[in-house]
Amino acid sequence: MIKCVVWDLDNTLLDGVYLESPDKPPSAVPALAAVVAELAARGILHAIASRNPPEAAGHAEQATGHRFAAAACGWGAKSQAVTEIMAELELEPGAVAFVDDDPLERAEVAHAHPGVLVLAPQEVPEAAGWPQFSPPVITDEARRRGELYLARRARREEEAAFGGSREEFLRHCRTQVTIAPAGPADLPRLHELSARTRQFNSAGAALSRERLARLLAAPDRRVIAVRLRDRFGDDGLVGAAVVALPAAAPGEWSVELLMMSCRAMGRGVIEALLAWICRAARSAGAGRVSVACVVSPRNVPLRIALAATGFRAAEPAVAPAAGGGHRMATYSRRLDGSLPELPGWARGTW
Amino acid sequence: MTAAGRAPAVLAELRRILADLTGDAWPLRAPPDTPLLRDGIGLDSLGGALLLRSVHRRFGVDVADEDLNLDSLATIGSLAAFIAQRAGDPLPEGTAP
Repeated sequence: MIKCVVWDLDNTLLDGVYLESPDKPPSAVPALAAVVAELAARGILHAIASRNPPEAAGHAEQATGHRFAAAACGWGAKSQAVTEIMAELELEPGAVAFVDDDPLERAEVAHAHPGVLVLAPQEVPEAAGWPQFSPPVITDEARRRGELYLARRARREEEAAFGGSREEFLRHCRTQVTIAPAGPADLPRLHELSARTRQFNSAGAALSRERLARLLAAPDRRVIAVRLRDRFGDDGLVGAAVVALPAAAPGEWSVELLMMSCRAMGRGVIEALLAWICRAARSAGAGRVSVACVVSPRNVPLRIALAATGFRAAEPAVAPAAGGGHRMATYSRRLDGSLPELPGWARGTW
Repeated sequence: MTAAGRAPAVLAELRRILADLTGDAWPLRAPPDTPLLRDGIGLDSLGGALLLRSVHRRFGVDVADEDLNLDSLATIGSLAAFIAQRAGDPLPEGTAP
């Protein structure tokens, strides 16, 4: 699934060369400006990679009427610009499309980033209809994604100027993490998170909408939704956990799925969720929490967060069928002794 | 070279990686018992993942695959020791393997 389109400007998104007409810079190509708006409505981000001064990005925003999530303007290689944009927006190459009229630029990016979908401008209107540009569900969170990335940029600028610790900064932003049982209305966003999250996802594959609907309704499961907001913006539902409460082992909470949007990374959400799960499990009389987790290079951030919360890994002697061919481990921790503190900005209701 | 013999060079290289990652010179002189996450070097879980990616590229050691509990991420010294036990001799920057 493509999450971001990176656009060249001169003779691609713009109908001409920016620096050649300083008095009246070129307007946007109408067919492509329409694609920008259409894809943005589907929750796909747009970014700029242009061999131009930074002012060109501002002009492109005026010309298209779209606020871009990131812009890399300069005279370096386009592949480097794409690398910077992927780092800023925390995207993997497979989630990025790159559009440029120059075949050499396209070849250079394709060579450096084999996972990136490289397109010529004339291919774009048709490509917009391809499945990788058509998310199965478009939630409110998705529609506001571009806006939320702009809020993130503002938050980061403020953080760079902020002198205190990360925790003080989260407080300064009036961060609020709300943890509560998920309801049927959350199903589309839970499905979207399951399909889109990688770095903070304990499962090896997306869960179907039907499977998630069954989990939401199951009497022996709890689906927990995590919401995040601060004074820069309301990120909505950014994470979830599915907990099995099997009658056979009432002393243990078994977490079958943990997932969090990478947009919530670095904002205390995963720490709050793990702390809350441990505390809620102990209040419910459990002596242990375990998390079934795929072992892959992609979810290292989640595994680091688990280890930092005191979870220890054990690998089953026989690979369980539920892993679907993935290497699985069970991360678990006892609930006696001191538990991780629920940060002051997090509220949980059961 | 033995793991013990390799350790100082691995430690020095690891400090350079950390300095690059954090954009700060402090890791170059931080004591080996400085924690990597949170209060020490201050890496969060994403920073830790980026560090392990650099370590994999530089030393050919896939810590996230070999150390499920990630105990090696406790301090600069513990990660350097884990790498030194598994890596070949580190190559100077810019040389082909």
